[in-house]
Amino acid sequence: MMKPELSWLDDPQTFRVNQLPAHSDHRFYQSDTDLATGQSQLTQTLDGTWQFKFAKQPSERPVGFYAPDYDHSDFDTITVPEHMEIAGYGRLKYINTTYPWEGKIYRRPAYALGKDQKGAGMFSDGEDNYVGAYLRTFTLDPALRQQQRIVVQFDGVEEAMYLWLNGQFVGYAEDSFSQSEFDLTPYLQDSENLIAVEVFKRSTAAFIEDQDMFRFSGIFRSVRLVGEPAIHVQDMRIIGNLADDLTTGDFSLKLKLNCQPNVNGTVKVSITDADGNGLFDVTKAANDEVEINHQMFPNVHLWQHTDPYLYQLKVTVQDEQGKVIEIVPYKFGFRRVEMKNKIMLLNGKRIILNGVNRHEWDAKSGRVISIEDMKQDLKTFKENNINAVRTCHYPNRIDWYYMCDEAGIYMMAENNLESHGTWQKMGAVEPSYNVPGSLSEWREAVVDRARSNYEVFKNHTAILFWSLGNESYAGDDIAAMNAFYKDHDDTRLVHYEGVCRNRAYEDQISDMESMMYDPPKEIEKYLTNNPKKPFVDCEFMHDMGNSLGGMSSYDELIDKYPMYQGGFIWDFIDQAIETKDEVTGQTVLRYGGDFDDRHSDYEFSGDGLMFADRTPKPALQEVKYYYGKHIN
Amino acid sequence: MANTSTKQVQIIYGDATLGLRGEGFGYIFSYERGGMESLVQHGKEWLYRTPKPTFWRATTDNDRGNGFSVKSAQWLGTDMFLKCTGAAVAVNDQPIDLPISPENNQYSDHEFADHVTITFTYETLTVPVTTVTVAYTVNGNGDIKVGVAYHGKTGLPELPAFGLRFIMPTVAKGFNYDGLSGETYPDRMAGGEKGHYTVDGLPVTKYLVPQECGMHMQTAQATVIRNRTLDNTDHANHDFNLTFKQNGQPFAFSCLPYTAEELENATHIEELPTPRRTVFAIFGAVRGVGGIDSWGADVEQQYHVSAEEDHSFSFVIQGV
Repeated sequence: MMKPELSWLDDPQTFRVNQLPAHSDHRFYQSDTDLATGQSQLTQTLDGTWQFKFAKQPSERPVGFYAPDYDHSDFDTITVPEHMEIAGYGRLKYINTTYPWEGKIYRRPAYALGKDQKGAGMFSDGEDNYVGAYLRTFTLDPALRQQQRIVVQFDGVEEAMYLWLNGQFVGYAEDSFSQSEFDLTPYLQDSENLIAVEVFKRSTAAFIEDQDMFRFSGIFRSVRLVGEPAIHVQDMRIIGNLADDLTTGDFSLKLKLNCQPNVNGTVKVSITDADGNGLFDVTKAANDEVEINHQMFPNVHLWQHTDPYLYQLKVTVQDEQGKVIEIVPYKFGFRRVEMKNKIMLLNGKRIILNGVNRHEWDAKSGRVISIEDMKQDLKTFKENNINAVRTCHYPNRIDWYYMCDEAGIYMMAENNLESHGTWQKMGAVEPSYNVPGSLSEWREAVVDRARSNYEVFKNHTAILFWSLGNESYAGDDIAAMNAFYKDHDDTRLVHYEGVCRNRAYEDQISDMESMMYDPPKEIEKYLTNNPKKPFVDCEFMHDMGNSLGGMSSYDELIDKYPMYQGGFIWDFIDQAIETKDEVTGQTVLRYGGDFDDRHSDYEFSGDGLMFADRTPKPALQEVKYYYGKHIN
Repeated sequence: MANTSTKQVQIIYGDATLGLRGEGFGYIFSYERGGMESLVQHGKEWLYRTPKPTFWRATTDNDRGNGFSVKSAQWLGTDMFLKCTGAAVAVNDQPIDLPISPENNQYSDHEFADHVTITFTYETLTVPVTTVTVAYTVNGNGDIKVGVAYHGKTGLPELPAFGLRFIMPTVAKGFNYDGLSGETYPDRMAGGEKGHYTVDGLPVTKYLVPQECGMHMQTAQATVIRNRTLDNTDHANHDFNLTFKQNGQPFAFSCLPYTAEELENATHIEELPTPRRTVFAIFGAVRGVGGIDSWGADVEQQYHVSAEEDHSFSFVIQGV
């Protein structure tokens, strides 16, 4: 058995240990009845109350707490999902570009200033690296107990986690915003099981997760067990493209099955339209891979913002006796994204992005957001003619992608990557210790983030663009992320803002010219100067406080320059924390610096079209007006 | 103003003030206080302190980011400490000697006119100095035509705003107006839809850091509704109104419980004092809010307010 090492926190080359490979986010059900309820019997939630012990730094943590015979009598409790800071353990903190240890600890990323600078102890012995020890018991639900493999899924843990089951080490994960999965089968007991997670606030991931946001930690998204049947759809790739005539659907499907030895069966693939009329039906032997290639459907109903029509794919796995053992539903649309004459097209038409950048936010719970929050955001999108979202600057809750498919929201699906603290110094570009840069030691960590983003979300019709990350400068490592997408997906385009920061890489990191906050006149200069690529404002109209004046100057570019394809307003919702006023007790919203958190960027987190409590700012009517001029 | 009224306004040539009365109204203009001191309609007082020209807006995040407040800081001092340097009176458009004692001994207790104009001159606390005049013309219906004129001066920094600020004695119940929906600024009003709007209370837009807010551009008419006075004998709580109407061009206004300075000093909305007054400011020039970024980008040039050029505006406070 592998021994967990604290030094992994210091090593950018160790970012996943014993994690299962990322795969598509399809949901699977045991039967049609199961499917009809929408609640899979093959999943068991581990959300709720966990036992919890907080330690201010690694040296104070309860070593060995994962052992069943450890004395947990002094443990507190915490809710999963919840940030440790919202729960009152860690101090709330907001900072934009500089690292959260600014002015307190001197740190340079491992290897950034020399091969010999390995950063030993930087985080594993970091005095600011607080630790949450999470613990709970569970007994497998009967339906799961009958399955072949039991996997645990962590949808989001910030920023590094070690996992044990029944005292045995299972694995390690970084990448706070991607799902981490581990196979628990070898360690399970029939009776009660003890699952233990040790969450560290910091690891080398801290250097590449420097997003402009409140800095949280802990298990902040759901945790669940899933039971995989003897034949299980491990991964699926659905492609609903269009032929050149733009009316014929070009459908391909690739299933990767996880088949137990000596288990045979069949896989039935069917497609129905939104009214339930069958389009396609085929049954194949259940092999490790099942493929359907370029199945053509004439006159398909296209998917687009104004008419987000989805077809229903259904994969039914049956055993030799014909008994259904797994059903995988997935809704997908037919649409075609392409670059033609330097203009990005959807279904042959020029794309105009009436977009917003959206951090996941809830004033009461931070980045722990509810389905209700997401529904309300989509309602706001619809009411204000917002047709696109950039998942700034990390993968969002999985449900959001399904909801955007249904709502017809064009997604720029961004990786969890931001390292502006390593190259933006008080406004100046100074990349002397930039990571990932071209450092080989950091490459796999960031390519893995690209891989996770792709593998999990690849079937979402709404995603038109992958985005490599935000404000991380440019180098070979980001070029390698782009290469990953180019190797795996020819149905979408790739975006990266850093294209304008280091022109040496401009042909290797973004299909479009992307800038943030360029004044309209500067954009016009680009557009009138023999531009190489179409232009997208990945961030514009900085809506901090009372702002959003002058939008007409951007709007005018749309009609004037076909290669200007709109952009994403910064941003959708203020980040501020709802709390009680220490003087009056009234409910108030607080921002950076209000928690004695220093160094801070104070109110700079309040740039939304919505206030943090999801009420609209007055400027929203202006967005509705201008975005309403180019509904597409 | 065209004299369409057959009613006459009575003039009280006081020693410290000029009183103008009529049926259902009584106005007092103070030479000492440098402006209109009392505006009573139907027995209800509408002024807490004399209205003064206003030049400042509570710094927006964009203003802070691009250094506008620093560049234009002189206007903050002027907004707070503006001094009145003169008053002049005209009766039926004929200027008269300033009717203070003993000059006013020539008048009687029954002096009437079609209309009377009193003009106050204010001097800014800027380098260089310039002046602003505010002229009130009152007729027998109690209509007050107000003309506000700023005299541009080379070398002065751009204006955050230019208007006339009324501070009313109690918090209004609300207001209504004919203009654009929502909060609008010169560079952010395309989305405002024309209509008649009613606003309950005096909402302060809850920006994380309190700042300039609540502007309504392109307004034809605004009515403030109150139901309380400071008069210890007045126990009524029925609604009473005061209406501001455009005179030629539409105006911009905001109706808040705070002055720009009060907003300026708070870092959170909960730090603002308990609302006690109504601050109704009516503007002839408003600077845009900008939006390109919040760390340096300027407001687009056409939405600046030059202090080197003249600005004037006019409106009518409706009589009884």
